[in-house]
Parts: sequence; C-alpha cells; structure tokens
Amino acid sequence: MVVGFAAFATILCPMQVPARAQAPAAAKTTAATPRRLADGKPDFNGIWQALNTASWDIQDHVGQLGIPPGLGVVEGNEIPYQPSALAKKKENFANRKTADLTEAKCYLPGVPRITYMPYPFQIAQSTKAIAFSYEFDHALRVIHTEGQHPDPNSFLDTWMGDSRGHWEGDTLVVDVRNFNDQTWFDKAGNFHSEALHVVERYSLADADHMNYEATIDDPKVFTKAWKMSMPLYRRTGKDAKLLEYECIFYLQEETYKNAPFKK
Amino acid sequence: MSRKLSSAIKTVAVVLATAWLSSLILILVPPVSGQAPAAGKTAPRAAAAATPATPYTPAHTPDGQPDIQGIYARAGVGGLAVEARESNGPHGAENPLDATADNPLSVSDRPDGLRNIPKGFNVGGVPLAGAAPAEKRRLGLVDPPNKVLPWKPEEDKKRRDFLMKTNPAASLRFVEFDARCALPGLFLNAGPFEFIQPEKEIVMASEYNHFTRTIHLDGRPHLNSDIRLFMGDSIGHWEGNTLIVDTTNFNEFTSFTREIPYLSDALHTTERFTIADQNNIDYEVTVDDPKLFTKPWKTAGLYRRTKKGYEIMEYACAEGSLTLENIFGKPPSR
Repeated sequence: MVVGFAAFATILCPMQVPARAQAPAAAKTTAATPRRLADGKPDFNGIWQALNTASWDIQDHVGQLGIPPGLGVVEGNEIPYQPSALAKKKENFANRKTADLTEAKCYLPGVPRITYMPYPFQIAQSTKAIAFSYEFDHALRVIHTEGQHPDPNSFLDTWMGDSRGHWEGDTLVVDVRNFNDQTWFDKAGNFHSEALHVVERYSLADADHMNYEATIDDPKVFTKAWKMSMPLYRRTGKDAKLLEYECIFYLQEETYKNAPFKK
Repeated sequence: MSRKLSSAIKTVAVVLATAWLSSLILILVPPVSGQAPAAGKTAPRAAAAATPATPYTPAHTPDGQPDIQGIYARAGVGGLAVEARESNGPHGAENPLDATADNPLSVSDRPDGLRNIPKGFNVGGVPLAGAAPAEKRRLGLVDPPNKVLPWKPEEDKKRRDFLMKTNPAASLRFVEFDARCALPGLFLNAGPFEFIQPEKEIVMASEYNHFTRTIHLDGRPHLNSDIRLFMGDSIGHWEGNTLIVDTTNFNEFTSFTREIPYLSDALHTTERFTIADQNNIDYEVTVDDPKLFTKPWKTAGLYRRTKKGYEIMEYACAEGSLTLENIFGKPPSR
C-alpha cells in the first residue's frame, strides 16, 4: 500500500514537470512541483476540499431526492461488516434522519467523515506544528507530532479522535484513535465503535491536488481493515478562505425560536 | 506535569466550564482572582513601568516573522469584572446591576489597572511555563484612565434592560452566545491557544470549543462588508516584536463579558501582541464600536506559555449539551 502510493505520486509529478518549466516562481495553479517548507517537508498550507458524494454515502449509490448519485470511495466498494454489524448498518440507514447525530444535531462528525463533507478545510503547517481546521462546526484537529495516544482506559473518548502524525517521506501519516462510538462515516448509516482506529495518509500529487486515503480498522464492527481513498482539491480562487458554518447555532435558532416552552 | 494530572486538571476545567455555561454566574469570577493580594501590595508600583534592561529578541520563522509559536493561556482581557467581595451585601458581585457593589458595569476594580499576573495555573487550570514575570502587568481596562466605559447613554440603558432579561433568559436571544457553544469572538475565553505560523499568516487554534482564528499577513484587504462573522475578519502585520491585528466584519453575536452581552456589527478591534520574553506575550485590544460607545476603549492582558508538554486536546462543547433544554424546556418535536 505504501509503496504503491508513493509510486503513484512519483509517476504523476514528473509527467507534469514540463508544463511547469514555463513559469517557475509565479505559477500558482499549475505548478507540478509542490512547494516545501524550510524543513524540506511538502507544504500543505492552504484551503482544501473533497469533491465527491461520500458525505451522503461512501459506497456506490444512485441518486435520490436530495441525494446526488456517486461512485463510492471505498476501495472494492464492499465494507467487511460482521453479520450483526451489517444488520445495525441497515437499521441506521432506516433511521438516518434522526440517528445520524451530525445531520440531526450538528454534532462533530468524526474522522474521516469531516474530510469529505461538502465544506472546505484549512491546513496550517509550520516547521513546528500542523493543525487542520474545518469550516463545518469550526472543527479542529491539532496533529500532534510527538507523544502517544492517551491510554483509552484512563482517558475520555473524543468525537474527532486523538491525532498523532509523522512523515513517511513526503506523506503525512496520521494515526487516529480514542474515538467515541457516536459518529458515522456518512449519512447512509455506515458506522463504527469506540475501537475505531483510522490511519490517514496525505500526500501531494501536485501543488493543488492531494491524494488522501484512510485505512479503517474496528475489530468490533468489521472482519478486517478496509480502505477509502479520494483526491483532495486545493481551493485556488480568490474565494479560498475558511468562513463559518455554525451548524449548532443555526439549529438552535430554529429549534428554540419559540422558547420558552414550559410554563 | 504528567499527562494524567494534566487531564485531571482539564476535567476539572471542563466541569467548571459546564457549570459556567449553565449558571452564567461564574463569569463574574475575575481571571486573576485567587492570587495572593498581599504580593501586590509589596510590589512597588514603579516596577510596572520598568522596561527590561535588554529587549528580548525572539527567534524568527523561516519567512522572517518573529516566532510567536507555542501554546499559550490568557489572563486579563475581559478584565472588567470586579473581584468577588463578600462585603457586597446580599447580592454581592452576582448582581450585575447592584449599584452599591463595585459592580462591573462600567469600571474595573483597580484604579491603576495593574494586577499580579497568574503564577502556576491560569483560570482554566492550565499549567503555565516558567516563573511569573516579576513586574505586574496591565490587565483589564486600561483606557479611558478613569475606568468608565464611554457608553452612549441610550445604549447603556438598552444593555441594562437586556441584562435584566438574561437570568432566567426571557428567550433565546438572552442566552449568552458562549453558553450556546457559538464561536466566542475575541474576548471571552482564556485559552489555551496554539499559535501556528505558516508563511504570511498566523493561526490561533483554541482548545476551548475547538475554534480557529486565522490572521492574514499577506496584505489582503478586509472581506466585503456583507460577510459577517462571529470571529470577524483579521488582517495583521508586524512592527518589531509586536503583531498588530485589525479585525472587522463582525456579526452582532459577539459579546465581551457577561456585562457587555453584545457588541454591534460596527465593532472594529485593533489588537497588539508583543512578544515580551520567551514565555510571555503582552496583549492589548482597542475596542471601537461607534454604535455603542462615544469613543474607543482599551483593555489589556497577557498570553503566558503553557508548561512544556502541554497538548491541545478536544473540548467538545455542544455535543450532549442540555443548556437550552434546561433553560427553556424540551422543544416540541418537529
């Protein structure tokens, strides 16, 4: 997996080098050779977004009212649910309008779901720190590059997981654990337990495209680990700016507009 | 600081914050209360004005900015709250409209604006690095010198009328935005914040309510005035070791303290972050809101580096919160 991924990036970059040779410094949107920070790491700084329908369903799905059709992002399309978990997934799907806490209550969506929701996110990277900020729910993930995951037996679980990152060549590998069991992978009921373990890999394909993949393991829900992958696109326009999508606030304005309710 | 102790402290902080969000009362506890007042009396006042013999020279980032990176917790800034005094009578400092108290409606509690700065921990229980600076810092309202906020009289009356409807909240509008887990604006929380410096910007990642501020240093203008944000739109530049940040485009949902429950969309702030030494950033913010005040006013604070090894963890705010349901009852199902 690692080798294949690196090879993909290696193949892609040289192919685009000739085009870039025309305008070295000024080229912003067509540069094939990614910028690097002073420490030699690829420069991920900027506003990124997925352009797919995984937020509705990470697997292949046809269109429905309000649901754009899409080919899935799961490699091989099949998710290796344990039999009881597959039944739970179907139940989730049936109850999705209220049981999906992200959709129904604006709760934090977990990882990797936050990555492919239809909102941009910002990567802030220096030679000292990396953090991912998301427009949806002003979610934040500080990617710790030192230390280890807290002991899940003595530490509260989290919505967005505890993220520990390291570099494998030009790939940022983020190991995420310490999840709760409240979030889903999409609006279609694909779910996990608190035993979820996600390994994300971020690598630049060129200056404005990133290859993203997430390996999902959860021994309580799946029979084996599985993987999803997708490109991420840099927002290059003058609208490349993270604004605010305050889901909670808007929902409160709607839900409590006639408050108080009790006499 | 062991991780376990650190998280234990954080748990306490979360519990405190939860109580704070639901009661709305604890906000009156000033950021620096609990510090030994005796120490303040013995420190010569002149020490405040003394400048270090050798100006601190911070490291620089690869793109030439003074390096302000690290994790910091904050003291002061809000700074209008009086110290809770038991002698305030039956309502004490809990009543924001108690005219007999040293109430926080328009004054700070110290005529000189000087306070001891936090020592081992900030108000949220965040462990801090290094020794406390020997000199006092200006914390809280520092301008105007008479400590009286320059309210337009009619706006001050509106605010007082507003405050009288806040506890219990008459409707959703009278619930503190912060208690609703909305983005808190620039003033309300004490951090900690992680400062990250990519090229031509500074990102402040807050542990509390997991929000982020991005300060653009690339010379861009402010956003079109149609765009209104809880956190405003921030652009900045460096002057020596001082980062100056200009913020506009606020919506009308930003508050300063409990006593200033809202500012207007005309709010314009100018912040100065001055790297004082390896552990401290002196901070002041000029609040210019011509709809509410006759002139700008200024309040000061301090960002203090957290103890080595401190990590920003998750502070989920809205998830599972029953604040509004407790106040208003269960909303009818839709």
